[in-house]
Amino acid sequence: MSSIREKGYHHWDGQFLDRPRAFWPIARTGIKLAFGRKHFKLGYTFSFLPAMIYAAIIYISERLEDFKFIAQGGDKLLQVNPNFFKSYLTLDLLYFAILILMSIGAAGLLADDFRHKAVQLYFARPLTKADYLLGKAGVVIFFVGTLTLVPAILLYILKLLFAGSFAFFLEYPWLILSILAFSLFIVLFFTAFILLASSLSNNRNYVISIIFGFYLFSEILRGIFFVIFRSPFSALFSIAANLKQVAAGFFLVKPPYDYPWYLSFLLISVFCFLSYLVVKHKVRGVEVIK
Amino acid sequence: MKVELKNIHFSYGPVKALNGINLVLNEGATGLLGPNGAGKSTLLKIMLGFLTPDEGDGQVLGYDLRREQKFIRQRVGYMPEDDCYITGMDGVSFTAYMGELSGMPRQEAMKRAHEVLFYVGLGESRYRLVETYSSGMRQRLKLAQALVHDPKLLFLDEPTANLDPAGRQDILELIGEIASSKDISVLLCSHLLDDIESICTDMVIINKGQIAASGRIEDLKMVDYRLYELKIKGELPVFSRELEEAGCRLEETEDRLIKIYTPPDFDQMEIFRAAARNGVQVRQFARSQSRLEDLFARVVGVD
Repeated sequence: MSSIREKGYHHWDGQFLDRPRAFWPIARTGIKLAFGRKHFKLGYTFSFLPAMIYAAIIYISERLEDFKFIAQGGDKLLQVNPNFFKSYLTLDLLYFAILILMSIGAAGLLADDFRHKAVQLYFARPLTKADYLLGKAGVVIFFVGTLTLVPAILLYILKLLFAGSFAFFLEYPWLILSILAFSLFIVLFFTAFILLASSLSNNRNYVISIIFGFYLFSEILRGIFFVIFRSPFSALFSIAANLKQVAAGFFLVKPPYDYPWYLSFLLISVFCFLSYLVVKHKVRGVEVIK
Repeated sequence: MKVELKNIHFSYGPVKALNGINLVLNEGATGLLGPNGAGKSTLLKIMLGFLTPDEGDGQVLGYDLRREQKFIRQRVGYMPEDDCYITGMDGVSFTAYMGELSGMPRQEAMKRAHEVLFYVGLGESRYRLVETYSSGMRQRLKLAQALVHDPKLLFLDEPTANLDPAGRQDILELIGEIASSKDISVLLCSHLLDDIESICTDMVIINKGQIAASGRIEDLKMVDYRLYELKIKGELPVFSRELEEAGCRLEETEDRLIKIYTPPDFDQMEIFRAAARNGVQVRQFARSQSRLEDLFARVVGVD
């Protein structure tokens, strides 16, 4: 008969892992906690709606004979080319869905840790500031990546499968690299943006206000400057417009605004770098004990 | 020997926080005392590997302070003073998560989390969200997360803060048991001298970035000074000055009780002689049992 186990203190006789990816438990837990938040799963599922519509367009474009009744007058819409992938990755609806999802699931990534003084618990462990930030960034990377990079790659594969040949690949051999590069660029931008917002307040409601306020204010600013100056450079004030301009450069199509795309690229890159500096400063790993 | 620090200096810009700290902490429980701004926190930061000393070196659990900070933090448990937790997690997930961050394999961290939560008395509440815990439960949870990876050394920062007397007693008993029978050394940082006196065998007092006193509490209380308490009628300042010139230190409490700390070899009759010379009547005189508060006040120079 087995004895009743005493629920007292026992020494642990296991071995610590020599973990090269110490950020992974932080990222995994952040993703799990995001899925546990109210309405997040529903929002996440609906965020794939644009990807599903684009998949349907690819299917229809390859079966034009069967869908003549739909395709009438919509030839341009049904053309699957670099512009098609660019339009998916610069869809306003997609960006809005990302912002809503990140507001629910990632606004508190740093804000909650600051509010509940949890940062010191992390840094009392064998973690570096880079591990901590990478772990938190991993949450945003996962969600934005699964809404941009993964669907875009799947759409590309779908196009090849439905076409039944490599003609599309041979016509645009660089396209897959453009999809990869621009998706990563979006992921990088949203990661920097969300973490920056999350680091600016201890209150997740304020963080949500910052996220939407900044995004919408940038659009309003663009509108105001455009009305006053009638200059294409007013697009530099808008987050969405800058991303669209950069996308044009990555997908080798005509930019929507009449100025070089690399200006927007530089602007967003500088924004990401400054965000990193601010976030790093806010997470003062050494100031963990009062 | 759990901690050995040699000539540790540290400055925040022009402000010298630690000034030549030499310290040896052995097994068992040690109390860390000092007034605000004395350098306790900086010393803890250095021992946890968050700050690198400007000068000096040392070892914690045999690991070098400057080069092996990762190993130190893997083997040290830290219970912060602040009410800190991660929202959205239940007690057992939170504790397991902390274990995993320390480097434990995921499944073992979860198994171990259950064990330590039972040990600290949160077994029945381990599936509740941590934000719904009471302050006493959160204190226990902080102790659990500090214990989950089975540290060899525990740093406890004000472990009884915000607790009611019963909760305080429970936590102190738990810490006392850990320190006495679980082969885990404890460094207890507290402003509550009773807490330190009830748990610790050794004590370190820091003042102005330097070690003001260290050693066994009993020894420190015995050898450093004698304490007399008296009530007088007459002019205190002159009487006080004469005794201070003779190496004593005087304090007057709110209820007009005068405490005189004298050097060990001081003849108590000198107090009466000084009183007589200055026309002061001694109305009450008693040799007091020295307490930790008295030692602290004597060493640090505050009441």
